[in-house]
Amino acid sequence: MGNSKHLGLILLAPAGVFVILFFLAPVVLTAIFGFTNMSTATGISGGAYVVNESTMRALGERFGERELAGRLLRKSYVIDEAGLQAARESGAEQATIEELREKYLGRNFESRRQIERLLKKLDNRPASIRAIKKIAASFERSVVNIRFDSPEELVAAIEGYGIVLSDAQRQALADVSYTGWVFTTQNFKTMMELPDTWRTMANTLFYVFSTLILFNTGFALVLAILTHYMPEGPAGFFRSVWLLPRITPPVLYVLMWKWLAWDNGFLSRMLEPLGIAPRNWLLDTPANAWTFVILINGFVGASMGMLIFSSAIKAIPQPLFHASEVDGASRWQQIRHIILPQLRWPILFITSYQTLSLLTSFEYILLATDGGPGGATEVWALAAYKKALSNYGGALQYGYGAAMSLVLVVIGVVLSLIYLRLFNFKALTESPKIEQ
Amino acid sequence: MSENYRKWPMVLFLGVLTTPLILMYVYLFVDTVTNTPPGAILPNEFTLEHWRFLHENLPGRPSIWLATWNTFMFATVTTLIVLAVSSAAGYSLSRLQLPARSFFLGGILVLHAFPTVTLLIAIFLILQMLGLYNTLIGVILVKISLELPFGIWIMKGFYDTVPWEIEMAGIQDGATRFQVWRILVLPQVKPAILALGIISFLAGWSEFILPLVLAPGNDVQVLSVYLAALIADDNNFDMNLFKSVGLFYVLPVIVLFVFFQNKLMNIYSGGTKG
Repeated sequence: MGNSKHLGLILLAPAGVFVILFFLAPVVLTAIFGFTNMSTATGISGGAYVVNESTMRALGERFGERELAGRLLRKSYVIDEAGLQAARESGAEQATIEELREKYLGRNFESRRQIERLLKKLDNRPASIRAIKKIAASFERSVVNIRFDSPEELVAAIEGYGIVLSDAQRQALADVSYTGWVFTTQNFKTMMELPDTWRTMANTLFYVFSTLILFNTGFALVLAILTHYMPEGPAGFFRSVWLLPRITPPVLYVLMWKWLAWDNGFLSRMLEPLGIAPRNWLLDTPANAWTFVILINGFVGASMGMLIFSSAIKAIPQPLFHASEVDGASRWQQIRHIILPQLRWPILFITSYQTLSLLTSFEYILLATDGGPGGATEVWALAAYKKALSNYGGALQYGYGAAMSLVLVVIGVVLSLIYLRLFNFKALTESPKIEQ
Repeated sequence: MSENYRKWPMVLFLGVLTTPLILMYVYLFVDTVTNTPPGAILPNEFTLEHWRFLHENLPGRPSIWLATWNTFMFATVTTLIVLAVSSAAGYSLSRLQLPARSFFLGGILVLHAFPTVTLLIAIFLILQMLGLYNTLIGVILVKISLELPFGIWIMKGFYDTVPWEIEMAGIQDGATRFQVWRILVLPQVKPAILALGIISFLAGWSEFILPLVLAPGNDVQVLSVYLAALIADDNNFDMNLFKSVGLFYVLPVIVLFVFFQNKLMNIYSGGTKG
């Protein structure tokens, strides 16, 4: 352990493992998943090659191979050793089986009627119609709904029934029959086309900037300045109370707002004597929903600004205030000319920091309105979450959700890098003083 | 200071703005032990029925004690590992020679500012692929990883304030850098470890989105998911019951807040996630 260069890396290694596995890998994978069509239908691991109604519909529509598609969906009949074995097990006479093997081994039939006709013409004809049907069923072959690991296996199985495929048909079949996820840029095209996207984006901008301006910086400034001018007792009380929303777990915090706003809740009861009908204030109209969403987030957001602004105000030399009072400055003049200029950097810091966190957070909205009423308060991050992880229909679109998240990830990376520049990185990374 | 100005108008103004918040918290306590007639503002009777969830399972929900145990394990294990890993990594970044040191520092800072919740979908898929979906271990690993940049940054900041003379003296006496860290420096940053420990525990205890998405099953359910599922169940709407479960859930937080309020104020103003 004498070599501090190695010790440094050793001490850093555990953190590196965690951060790479569950922080950096998700960043990269968000980008990768964003370019796939991964969903509950495709599964998240590799898929298989399957002939079924929907892949054959695609074969008809995309490649015009309607005839082939129809043929693959129908059952085929092949006289082969496996079929003969099955026929024997289903009770066919030994003589019948021998005759079939000698004369018809390897023969294909496109329909049940054809093979039944053959069976009726045999010298060793099965005794009853029922026996004929039973034996015919033993030779039945179908690729429908069988999962093949590779396109070659699928083609080999199909050609085993005497269907000859051209190269173009093989290629088309491999394309359409794959049920796993594939890489695609469709998510981003869809995103540009859907009107919901633009509505969600407008909602997000409205939410971020109104919360930011009204509460995270605005009201935070009011709190910091007012408590600055108060005696220690009330100032400490107000700071503690306004810290409560941040300390309270989100689920409980939103529950308390619901108690205030629901149709049998505190607000409705208080307003009833004034002739205002009880209603669920959280969800009755878009305007009310927005008011509460902004209040709920703003009450949490105000505390961080309050703490940072308060400590910045505390750092202002007291004589400045005393001197200005001697000169007859009003409180408003003190705020304008002493406090606010000192708060320029803290305000910039809070504004930039909280822009990013408001842009990406959806926890409180999810709990309060879940984007309602009718999508009025659906913000970008919530929409991404719902697309990929929470959908009542059960069809989760991981790829599309990841594509939506990717937009936020890119904004997050860019803004974090800008902030790093802005808030004086060099001073934070001075070299160590012991060299070995 | 500022004796020239009147104070009561400000106190009154802020008091009015703070009233809704105070009301919500007062009624949180009151409603858990009382009943209020429909349409009334004030309760009319004392009752303990809202606390029945402590000894009987609520319809469709696992035992509250199982959820409490899961929450406790989640918060505690996360905290311990975050403390161990970030006190090592923080020291490394603060004091030791590292190749590409400013890259690591810059990286930690960017990750600290980075909005982790955007990674939720990718993390969900990774846990599915690793077979760690719906396990406490999986969600603990994720929570640790997302908390680490903050923890490392805080610890690095505290190590930066430890005087170099302590370490130089240790080196003079023949100790290795590792011994110096273990024996001389770690005791110096005890307050930081305590503060980071409290923050991590509170963050783990309050965490909602990660367990909701990564470990929603009844066996591994934590209290936040338990309470959210209870509230979302339209068939059993009972506000006072919700509040009682909520109060039960928040009690450890209140205790920590009361005892360590000043420490928390300092750390929160050091810039955690908003």
